[in-house]
Amino acid sequence: MFLNTREGLALALPAAFFSLLLFLVPVGILLSEAFQSDTGWTLSGYTDFFAKPLNQVVFFRTLKLGVLVAGTAAVIGYAAAFCIVNLGPTARGRVFGLVVLPLMISPVARTYAWIVILGRTGIVNDAIVGLGLSETPIRLLFTETAVFLGLLQLFMPLMIISLVSAMENIPRDVIPAARVLGASWLQVFVRVILPLTKEGLVIGGTLVFTGALTAYITPAILGGSKVLMLETLLYQRVNVANDFVSASVIAMILMVMSFSANLLLKRIASARR
Amino acid sequence: MKLTLPIAVALCALTGTAMAADKTLTISVYSFAQDAYKKALYDPFEEICGCDLVIETGNSVERMAKIEANADDPVIDMAVISSHDALSLARKGLIAPLDTSKLSSFDRLYPAAQDPIGNNMAVGYTFYASSIVYRKDLVEIESWGDLLDKKLAGNVALPNITGTQGPLTLMMLDKAMGGKPDDFGPVISEIGKKADDIVTFYSRSSELAQLMNQEEVIAAPVGRFAWSRFKGSPLPFAWANPAEGQAGGMNVMIMTKGNGNEELAYKLMDYWISTEVQTRIAEALIDSPANMDVKVSQEVADNLTYGAELIESLNILDPATIIDNREAWVEQWNADVIK
Repeated sequence: MFLNTREGLALALPAAFFSLLLFLVPVGILLSEAFQSDTGWTLSGYTDFFAKPLNQVVFFRTLKLGVLVAGTAAVIGYAAAFCIVNLGPTARGRVFGLVVLPLMISPVARTYAWIVILGRTGIVNDAIVGLGLSETPIRLLFTETAVFLGLLQLFMPLMIISLVSAMENIPRDVIPAARVLGASWLQVFVRVILPLTKEGLVIGGTLVFTGALTAYITPAILGGSKVLMLETLLYQRVNVANDFVSASVIAMILMVMSFSANLLLKRIASARR
Repeated sequence: MKLTLPIAVALCALTGTAMAADKTLTISVYSFAQDAYKKALYDPFEEICGCDLVIETGNSVERMAKIEANADDPVIDMAVISSHDALSLARKGLIAPLDTSKLSSFDRLYPAAQDPIGNNMAVGYTFYASSIVYRKDLVEIESWGDLLDKKLAGNVALPNITGTQGPLTLMMLDKAMGGKPDDFGPVISEIGKKADDIVTFYSRSSELAQLMNQEEVIAAPVGRFAWSRFKGSPLPFAWANPAEGQAGGMNVMIMTKGNGNEELAYKLMDYWISTEVQTRIAEALIDSPANMDVKVSQEVADNLTYGAELIESLNILDPATIIDNREAWVEQWNADVIK
């Protein structure tokens, strides 16, 4: 490299200073509020938070939806990524462009599209009533299903992108070789593709899981106050109750969940080595 | 010498402008209808007082938090908020009693608006009725109790307990169920039992208008100030006159304690409740008047909460009851309804 260590550090200094001053320090101050009381340091913010049944429900719902969204995105993502890497260069570019396209559209617009699709007069209900599956439109909006679909659509491109770049690095011959040696497609996936793409899965899984945990707009619009998630609860605590202690507790829980998911996925990935 | 006079005039003009700009009044208001308010109130007032108005908007919690955070050196001179939020600020000692002798239009206010939270801590500037907006082609609403009836299951939205409309809805459901006044525990339990039949609990009237226009919901309680969002819709919406009557509320003006800008704040308050301005605001269908002398056409009146008879008939929830019980209501609501 043309830079020595000192020059490298000097170049990194403005960015590090910026991050420290404008991100880490305010986040530290905010999060420390969750450990403080009038008498000193305490964990009562956390014990009080988890003592309330509503908060427990919201915590487990958030965890469940995060896992479901990440898991489903991985299943669909593997199939999509496998198709994409097996396309010719032109088609691959076009399909990849289509996968990335939703990321360029505002999440608000994408979420409102779900209202049109899942509403009582939306196309899904029109089809359900038209096919005679139900006499009247069924309630799809303001349910966990709506939030799940919205989050899945929102974050699946991140999983596909991660898996495509991981699959592109698989040597061309290994899959045909496994097939020639008698492996079924399931064995090819479990024993060849999965081990060789686990880094992509860890990155994609972390991005999708963290995204689903911390999304605000989608659960707010598609779930409303009946399907509260940690992020919508956080907003409510700040904006309705002016309760910054609970909000800090929720922020800390979200951070811990995100880091834990990343560590867990890395651990699982390395355990298979 | 020829230049001396124009320069002197220009200097005077500049000094005059600079002096005018020195006089600034900072007010905290609801964020809705700000363009209309600018035309009907802010611009004419700035011309009269030769001062600048600084308008701060936001939701009630944000605005109250700002007043509380700057209590030692108030940033906000005067604010308009709900009567129960005003009482909450008064109990925290953040607002000053009003010298009503400085409000020349004070006697023109409806009696209920003259001292709504006691000790002259606030004056009302607008009333609003709350009732049920519904699709008259699909359903008939005769009672507040209809909201929890089987015929509307899966088609009703209720306001969230945390907003202003939530407690009003509890009060009217309590009345319909024949419960004890101010004890909303049984009503909240009943809503909890029917929670699956309620589409959602909305927070903003704009959110409800969207849901009703998309036909997700066919009946819901809402404040009359939001009626303009429904009356222009191609769908046949109607305003209910339930057997238990309509609920009602009032928004008030308050003065922050020790802001040092009291004279100018009184001027704005007096101008805001004057017959002239209240008429202009009513005719623009922004807010309903609290001034008894305001006269508007029947068409305008039909869209507002207008007239002594209607205002006296409103079921108004005591601000102290809201402040004293809100925490317990929210707690029970979270346990029984949101789950």
